Amino acid sequence: LSGGLSSSLNEEFCLDDNNRIHTSKYNVLTFLPINLFEQFQRVANAYFLFLLILQLIPEISSLSWFTTIVPLVLVLTITAVKDATDDYFRHKSDNQVNNRLSEVLINGRLQSEKWMNVMAGDIIKLENNQFVAADLLLLSSSEPHGLCYIETAELDGETNLKVRHALPVTSELGTDISRLAKFDGVVACEPPNNKLDKFTGDLSWKDNKYPLNNEKIILRGCVLRNTSWCFGMVIFAGPDTKLMQNSGKTKFKRTSIDRLMNTLVLWIFGFLVCMGIILAIGNSIWEHQVGDYFRAFLFQDEVVKNSIFSGFLTFWSYIIILNTVVPISLYVSVEVIRLGHSYFINWDRKMYYSKKETLAEARTTTLNEELGQIEYVFSDKTGTLTQNIMTFNKCSINGKTYGKLFSPLKKIFPLLFSYNKFQFYDHSLVESIKLGDPKVHEFFRLLALCHTVMPEEKNEGKLIYQVQSPDEGALVTAARNFGFIFKSRTPETITVEEMGKVVTYQLLAFLDFNNIRKRMSVIGTNDTFEFGGEGLRTLAIAYRDLNEEYFKEWFKLLEEANREFDKRDECIAAAYEEIEKDMMLLGATAIEDKLQDGVIETIASLSLANIKIWVLTGDKQETAMNIGYSCNMLTDDMNEVFIISGHSAAEVWEELKKAKEILFGRSTGFTNGYAFCEKLQELKRGSTVEESVTGDYALIINGHSLGHALEANLQSEFLEIACICKTVICCRVTPLQKAQVVELVKEYRKAVTLAIGDGANDISMIKSAHIGVGISGQEGMQAVLASDYSFAQFRYLQRLLLVHGRWSYFRMCKFLCYFFYKNFAFTLVHFWFGFFCGFSAQTVYDQWFITLFNIVYTSLPILAMGIFDQDVSEQNSMDYPNLYRPGQLNLLFNKSKFFICIAHGVYTSFALFFIPYGVFYNLAGEDGKHIADYQSFAVTIATSLVIVVSVQIALDTSYWTVINHVFIWGSVATYFSILFTMHSDGIFDVFPNQFPFVGNARHSLTQKNIWLVILLTTVVSVMPVIAFRFIKVDLYPTLSDQARPLKSHRRQPRRTSSRRSGYAFAHQEGYGELITSGKNMRVKNLHPTSGLGKTMYNSTSWIENLCKKTTDTVNSFSLDRTVKL
Amino acid sequence: MERNSNDVRGLLSRMPDNTAFKQQRLPAWRSHLTAWAVLPGFFTTGAFFLGMGILLILSAKSVKEIEITYTSMCSNCAKLRENASNFYKECTCSVPFFIPEKMPGNVYMYYKLHNFYQNLRRYTISRNNRQLLGEDITNVENCAPFQRDSNGIPIAPCGAIANSMFNDTILLSYYPHSSTRINVPLLSSGITWWTDKHIKFQNPRSNNLPSAFTGTTKPPYWRKPVYQLDPENPENNGFLNNDFIVWMRVAALPTFKKLYRRIHRTGPFANGLPAGNYSFDIAYNFPVTVFKGEKGVVLSTVTWSGGSNLFLGIAYLTTGAVMWLAAFSMTAVHLKMKKRNIVSES
Repeated sequence: LSGGLSSSLNEEFCLDDNNRIHTSKYNVLTFLPINLFEQFQRVANAYFLFLLILQLIPEISSLSWFTTIVPLVLVLTITAVKDATDDYFRHKSDNQVNNRLSEVLINGRLQSEKWMNVMAGDIIKLENNQFVAADLLLLSSSEPHGLCYIETAELDGETNLKVRHALPVTSELGTDISRLAKFDGVVACEPPNNKLDKFTGDLSWKDNKYPLNNEKIILRGCVLRNTSWCFGMVIFAGPDTKLMQNSGKTKFKRTSIDRLMNTLVLWIFGFLVCMGIILAIGNSIWEHQVGDYFRAFLFQDEVVKNSIFSGFLTFWSYIIILNTVVPISLYVSVEVIRLGHSYFINWDRKMYYSKKETLAEARTTTLNEELGQIEYVFSDKTGTLTQNIMTFNKCSINGKTYGKLFSPLKKIFPLLFSYNKFQFYDHSLVESIKLGDPKVHEFFRLLALCHTVMPEEKNEGKLIYQVQSPDEGALVTAARNFGFIFKSRTPETITVEEMGKVVTYQLLAFLDFNNIRKRMSVIGTNDTFEFGGEGLRTLAIAYRDLNEEYFKEWFKLLEEANREFDKRDECIAAAYEEIEKDMMLLGATAIEDKLQDGVIETIASLSLANIKIWVLTGDKQETAMNIGYSCNMLTDDMNEVFIISGHSAAEVWEELKKAKEILFGRSTGFTNGYAFCEKLQELKRGSTVEESVTGDYALIINGHSLGHALEANLQSEFLEIACICKTVICCRVTPLQKAQVVELVKEYRKAVTLAIGDGANDISMIKSAHIGVGISGQEGMQAVLASDYSFAQFRYLQRLLLVHGRWSYFRMCKFLCYFFYKNFAFTLVHFWFGFFCGFSAQTVYDQWFITLFNIVYTSLPILAMGIFDQDVSEQNSMDYPNLYRPGQLNLLFNKSKFFICIAHGVYTSFALFFIPYGVFYNLAGEDGKHIADYQSFAVTIATSLVIVVSVQIALDTSYWTVINHVFIWGSVATYFSILFTMHSDGIFDVFPNQFPFVGNARHSLTQKNIWLVILLTTVVSVMPVIAFRFIKVDLYPTLSDQARPLKSHRRQPRRTSSRRSGYAFAHQEGYGELITSGKNMRVKNLHPTSGLGKTMYNSTSWIENLCKKTTDTVNSFSLDRTVKL
Repeated sequence: MERNSNDVRGLLSRMPDNTAFKQQRLPAWRSHLTAWAVLPGFFTTGAFFLGMGILLILSAKSVKEIEITYTSMCSNCAKLRENASNFYKECTCSVPFFIPEKMPGNVYMYYKLHNFYQNLRRYTISRNNRQLLGEDITNVENCAPFQRDSNGIPIAPCGAIANSMFNDTILLSYYPHSSTRINVPLLSSGITWWTDKHIKFQNPRSNNLPSAFTGTTKPPYWRKPVYQLDPENPENNGFLNNDFIVWMRVAALPTFKKLYRRIHRTGPFANGLPAGNYSFDIAYNFPVTVFKGEKGVVLSTVTWSGGSNLFLGIAYLTTGAVMWLAAFSMTAVHLKMKKRNIVSES
């Protein structure tokens, strides 16, 4: 694909857009029209607009326009204010980005120019640690071979450095401004797209064509690292850049309550139409039987209308009157409640991690109640369950073991070292070093030599190690603490300070780690003796003395192997094998990645809450299992631990079959793997099979087996077995597989899932789960940025789910129940009244009452309940994880609950109408004056309604804070004060036609029998509710009913198995190649000022090697480069 | 040093405030339905309702009420009124009746209409309160279809409600002996709400009422203009006419009664209406048979709970009884469950 862009500096014919970006949606002028247009695209708002239009038709209008416009304007305003604030901040950040300065080559001179003025075709100079302004073609750089390093964290979340090469022809241009200014190459490339890892195009320059690929391109959003400067030509600017092409496509998550709510609103709408039809038919009949004559009498010579047509008009009139059953304030109230819950999460001190000053954060404010319904938790291991801080705490040298695990019984004082708060609990090792035990010295020398760590001398002579993997860092740091300090390295030498003496070793060969050999070697010499060694970073440390001839011979072999074309990798591997033999074992190290605090308790507690926890890790099986044991997910008394590690689909199938036979016995049989459709149907239907299986089982599956298990014909079997098992651990999985597992469970179990992780490789699963939680931990912020909730420690998950989630769900359900009840009780009175007013769409209430009922008289108490209510204390919800069950089973608000609420509302409206009806039928006041007028009737029913719903909310509120008191009493007080104000003389004098109820409140509400009606209505409406609830608590107490009276007491989760510690292993190729090639070494005398910015390693090359060399990766997953420990 | 102190402040600011509100620890009362609150509550409320029910029934029973529907009794007049051409023809009708028991105290006379939908939406909005305030009597907005007559002169009072005003005249006569007839003195004052008479309805400010209404015309169904409604009492005219005000307060339900007159307690009627023979002398003007309606007169005494409606008393009695029933069954269930719980715990 070419022709998207051709650019040249001299001709300036390019895409006409500049580099200005707009993420903002509005400006001052367009805000109102665009925002309103967007808002009216929402069904609810459009519906109310439609109602408003109906109300403007005089034939139909049964309510004044203000009854709809007041709430509508309120809702629109709240949303508009929110949108405007959001957009203001986007404007601010846009401006900030657009006004960043960049050095642009203009008219042969470098000039500072704002980003927004940069055009495609411009040549830009970038300096170290600068953000890249646009998508550039790399021309030249300060580094040899036109190399430059970039960090792409903002783009794809990966923090490792990546290398970009300039074309040799352009890298010659160097920093020569005049030659750069004359550069007139033309780039033909693909049109702008969002593929971050692909670029195709070519550069035509000086009658030659040079192909371009992604390696030559620096994308906007990257940061230049470890490169003092580079020049690039802008290819794509502004909205065409890959960063912008990628933005704004975040998947919008909705909760199950949301979806249910939408369905229910549709049902209610249907119900509304039904009511309208019934009343319209009623009207037609009434008109036919009575109305024709009566109307002729009332309205004299009016042309008698067709009764069918009258019914048609009545239908629309009733749609207007009864519109309050579809509550406009529902969505706004729900948002407000969720926002409140989010703030409570942000404010929670018990989820605040003081060591890192990290708050828990609800990054998405629309998912809170889903936290109370989680059934599956998918957890990453490293950094999520563990701290991802590797500590060197045991070693074995020459058969002697040093270092003990900390034991609480015997207090051992740790050795304290000056660096890094390093602790080691064995003094004898220090003694041995002091005594000069050669084996011990050799051991630590080896640790100091055999690694790929880059040292960095900060000012004040502080030595900082840049490490690729934390375990490597732990080993080198350990050596340093025991007196073998790794000082510096060049491509040919390694300098180590051994017990105060500086020794420089010649580096002869570097045999980098790979996954097949699972070892790494460094071959070096110094002046005195030849030295060879091999470090298995996993555990064992060995060495081998080589004589020079043997080495030279071997080195020749290696060079030959390197020249080999077809079987290069095999030859190299063979050469490596050749030298890495006959090694002397020196000893072994043990690196521990400690579990985070409280992980065991959290997992135990979540399991009690019937939340299934699946661990999905990139780690190898042994490590993953160790962690499984150490956090009690695997226990020694489990009936069976299934390990699925087959390499082919057939093997996996065989293993799954075996597992299933053990689970169900042979009788159940196994589907042939192709009848999976029926199986999935069964799975969808429910978990009947699972009930029949007793006992604890665990399933451990590794990446390549999982690849087969996730194929369409096996996934049902896999899922079935996995769901029966108490514990599922997937190891060596790729980020994509993590997401696939989540999707599988989401799709076929119809369960609410939560994914928790801390690394870039967890992003896909965090995004695909219903709820994604990011641990703001060691591996940067990428996971957090993609997550819905974030906090610093895994243990806070317990509080997030069991306390915040449970409460949110509980509150939201109570809120919805009450909300629907309230609106039905309020609105259906009109329906009953229809039968007594000739179906004329006469309202029961004053129009102002209709306007204010939902937004003033009843909104605050229900919000207070929705935000503050607690059925049991937080301590109880933590102590009794069983309380979480109702959320998972969706018990508190579902369709049947909805119908109960509706029935309750209908009953209340019935009582509200028919009791006053019965009384008013033949009523006279105490003074004989008639009080059975329409206005008194309206005031009586309205007052009864306000009191009934207030008593009802008082009953529903189980946690009466000051705020609830103020809101509930305040609402009733507000009702009466507004009532008396609107019925006052003063307001009538000014607006006689708008407030015709003058004097009504004071007249009606001084009548004893009106109060007797209100009292009777209230008791009749509320008494059955109390009776039913009381009986229900007695007969079928829920868990929270039982927990409520109990005094909370802390229970310690029992530890069932011996604690094993999780030892971490590195299993990933380092960047030895870069070190030995010297490509990443700065030639000191050239650039003495530039320091190492960050960890550097050539990720591209090791990833290539990984892909080439590893045979055990089923999906060669080159896109997701980050392979994490 | 300075940086350090900043750090400390920064740390303090990041840590969420330890306030009861933010930590969701607001002191609160946890409400739940305990047996000790619910059961006694049900019993007492039930008892209160039973007592109140009995009281209300007794009080409603104590009301003496006589209702006479005269549509069929005056069928001649009813027939006559069905034809609009007889609009100006007088028709009177006498309805004799017997009061078996003395009606003590204040006695009120109501007219009662059946099947008259004063609550039709288009009817209830067909009025103009600003006009009725006397400020701008030509303001006939909202009064459709009775805004102006065929000549375009605004109608005062405008609107369908005013137009359809009840215009029968009912006189009550007492016959202590078969030959003696005493007109029962009736008061047309004190039958309206204070706020209606003094705030909602005002005559145009003028010394002479008829001149104040010049430029307007009477509603088509009316025989006399609004300033001649009561020929006997000049104060009771215009928008301040009591019958007019009563009519304009529309009824909630299609069957309703409105206060027409109070019995003036003088002479033989100082203690109410004695038992005996009476008759209503009705000037039958209001047509009801055209829309299949009926009309009647009600004579009634009142008590503290209003009129003779038994509904409230019966409803209270029933509710009280149901509450007691519920309370007993709840107690039974509760005790049984408690016993079972104790058994299962031990």
